[in-house]
Amino acid sequence: MFAGRALRLVTLLVALVLFSWLLMSRSPIDPVQAYVGADMNLVSQEQRQQIEEYWGLNDPLPTRMARWFSAIMHGDFGTSMIYRRPVLDVIRERFAASLLLMMTAWALSGAIGMLLGLLAGARSGGMLDRGVRWYCFVIASTPAFWLAILVLMVFAVWLGWAPVGLAVPIGVEASRVSLFSRLHHLILPALTLSMLGVANITLFTRQKVVEALNSEYALFARAKGESERSIVLRHVPRNVALPAVTLLFASFSELFGGSVLVETVFTYPGLGQATVQSALRGDVPLLLGTVIFGALFVFAGNLLADAVYLLIDPRIRELRRVETRELSYEHAE
Amino acid sequence: MTGTDGSRMWRWAAALAPLLLFALLASLFAGCGGKGASTGGGEKRDELVVALGGEREEGYDPTTGWGRYGSPLFQSTLLARDDDLEIVNDLARAYEISEDGLTYTVRIRDDVKFSDGRPLTAEDVVYTYETAAKSGSVVDLNVLEKVVAEDDRTVVFTLKEPMTTFVNLLITMGIVPKHAHGDDYAYNPIGSGPYKMVQWDRGQQMIVEANPLYYGKKPYFKRITFLFLEEDAAFAAARAGEVDMAVVPHTLAANSVPGMRLLRVPSVDNRGICFPCVPAGSSDEEGNPVGNDVTGDMAIRKAVNMAVDRKALVEGVLKGFGSPAYTICDNLPWWNPETVVKDADLEGAKKVLEEGGWKDADGDGIVEKGALKASFTLIYPSSDQTRQSLAMAAADMAKKVGIEMKVEGKSWDDIERLMHSNAVLFGWGSHTPMEMYNVYHGKFRGEGWYNANYYHNPGVDAYMDRALAAGSEEESLEHWKKAQWDGETGLSARGDAPWAWLVNLDHCYFVNEKLDTGKNRIEPHGHGWPITANIVDWRWKD
Repeated sequence: MFAGRALRLVTLLVALVLFSWLLMSRSPIDPVQAYVGADMNLVSQEQRQQIEEYWGLNDPLPTRMARWFSAIMHGDFGTSMIYRRPVLDVIRERFAASLLLMMTAWALSGAIGMLLGLLAGARSGGMLDRGVRWYCFVIASTPAFWLAILVLMVFAVWLGWAPVGLAVPIGVEASRVSLFSRLHHLILPALTLSMLGVANITLFTRQKVVEALNSEYALFARAKGESERSIVLRHVPRNVALPAVTLLFASFSELFGGSVLVETVFTYPGLGQATVQSALRGDVPLLLGTVIFGALFVFAGNLLADAVYLLIDPRIRELRRVETRELSYEHAE
Repeated sequence: MTGTDGSRMWRWAAALAPLLLFALLASLFAGCGGKGASTGGGEKRDELVVALGGEREEGYDPTTGWGRYGSPLFQSTLLARDDDLEIVNDLARAYEISEDGLTYTVRIRDDVKFSDGRPLTAEDVVYTYETAAKSGSVVDLNVLEKVVAEDDRTVVFTLKEPMTTFVNLLITMGIVPKHAHGDDYAYNPIGSGPYKMVQWDRGQQMIVEANPLYYGKKPYFKRITFLFLEEDAAFAAARAGEVDMAVVPHTLAANSVPGMRLLRVPSVDNRGICFPCVPAGSSDEEGNPVGNDVTGDMAIRKAVNMAVDRKALVEGVLKGFGSPAYTICDNLPWWNPETVVKDADLEGAKKVLEEGGWKDADGDGIVEKGALKASFTLIYPSSDQTRQSLAMAAADMAKKVGIEMKVEGKSWDDIERLMHSNAVLFGWGSHTPMEMYNVYHGKFRGEGWYNANYYHNPGVDAYMDRALAAGSEEESLEHWKKAQWDGETGLSARGDAPWAWLVNLDHCYFVNEKLDTGKNRIEPHGHGWPITANIVDWRWKD
């Protein structure tokens, strides 16, 4: 089972990288031009050639690809053109910041989403349900960066409750930054990101709750004389949890996408910021690095979802045991 | 399952609970966070927080291109420009250029120390230039044959060919210490500049502190924090009172921010129309078409130059935050003021067209010359709204004299293919006449973004060649001016009119009312960092 997983991951990564190379080769962005930027009239043709040579951009694409692959095999992700640093260093530094933001947002959206979904589903058609659904539809159709700017204007500028951006206080040395103020800077971006995530989870959970309440076991429970409250609390959550958890872990990819925009607005120094820069400025090593990393991240999300199934669903645990037993029989034969 | 039990109020409260919780938490936090700058109110301060954008991701190493605009901050340069853009000594005590213009001999001060206490010697200068030449970066040192230290205090640069604009490299290249220039230099720069780095939170902010060993004028502000915010975030930070200075696009400049004034700095950040100057029919090495029969006619180019109302463009498109542009280098030392043409001169434009053989024979409002209609495409980069508005407004103005410019937005990559055969709305502007040389010299026809319109006038080329070989920048000025207009011909609108320059943008900043930024220089293309050029003169008003 794990061998199969690993194989799938490897083939996925190879396909992804090949596809990325293909896209980059078709991309109209000239990396030298992107690197030179506004100085394009002060950099001579000779200097452009020197830049190409320095970064190995004048070799044909297959050569560059081969060079990149062989370096990767040795664990060398290359040097980022825009940061002039090893790609892995950039990713490590950026990911630490992103991870905190994404996990906070993820936990918030998961908890709030399931709670709202449960409440709305339990009283579907009511005022609360209509309010929640209205909220979800509005949020789901709101562009992330616009929502981020709105949150920024309201909470940071008008109300002044939270800082306008960054992950640390302005002008304060790292040694003097308290955990408290780090959290303070995390609030707005995490709130924005979780607001985006809540919509999906809520609508999905609500749907499952409605289904559960119309199921035969709910009818049976009612027939036994159980109160509505007891059904909602005792029967529904367990049945709704599994699909909701799948969705929650599958939302890693959306989380990753959303963080790109949110980080840009809030000047939050995460991986999203770096990804956008690398794509816009033709920094192939960094872009490929983030692509691989992003894929691993999403893959890890799905893997975690499977692991959590085992924890919360006895049926899957049982299935797994049977499968393993059968598998070992086959091997024995 | 409509709700009949439980109160509705309660359910609403449940929905609002997360929001309320957040509000409560946030207000708790608000009391303790590092509140930014402007809360200081009236009293004197020696710390600043500014949002000028433009983080340098690859770090603050001059040998890979840091410090070519604004203040090099951590390092210092051999020469510098003063507020009037005249060349003055900095690290150099004196410099001389040989008769043939090939050798620059620079004598440096002997009292300069790097911020780590070690002295700065000629060796460091040589090391800096040699490293930069090999760095594969935007620092272009191809003209440099060699650089040697004659003794501890004397550096001799030898060029492959005379080039008066080489002096700009002496002005912009910060000197790095040979003994401390390792792999992580760009993140922990050590130099002889007015400030030293305290901390750089990448992607967020940089904190700097006055360098006590700095040999020049002591800066007033002891500590400055640079925030690397996007335009929207910088504006929000200004509104929230967290910064003393924020860069602002002219589209937002009309807003007012309490406690802040609007600072408008003139620039040579210009926008103009580049006309293909040769007839259609040929193509470049990559097979892109070259030339345009309509704009290849000088009468058309001159007529557009006369017909546009630059003041109206400044008022209408830039909301007043700009000035009319007549050349690529307005108001810089090498600019020729005689190049200013009369604006919105419809009669003059019509006359030029008539003399050129263009008239509206079929009465459709567009002039013709034989079978050729005075109609061509004007391309702007579709990502830039200001350029779009300028292109559309200029097209309306040209229409009044019977010239049709069809306005189209394209990506930069399309523009690269189309720019030899269509008019394009470009922008340049730099603190070196090298730019004029690159854009107008015949030898760069079709070479990359340089002379994109294939302009060629041997007389103009000769003036510019003479300017490069003149000996010093001062002596070269006269030749640069003559290249623009010598009384008979030139590269400006009075001469061959290969371009129609339209406007120079003003660079706008919101600045704390109490902050005095001294005399700001005309800024080059690039809005933000250049304002730091005179950062040591900034002070708090009493």
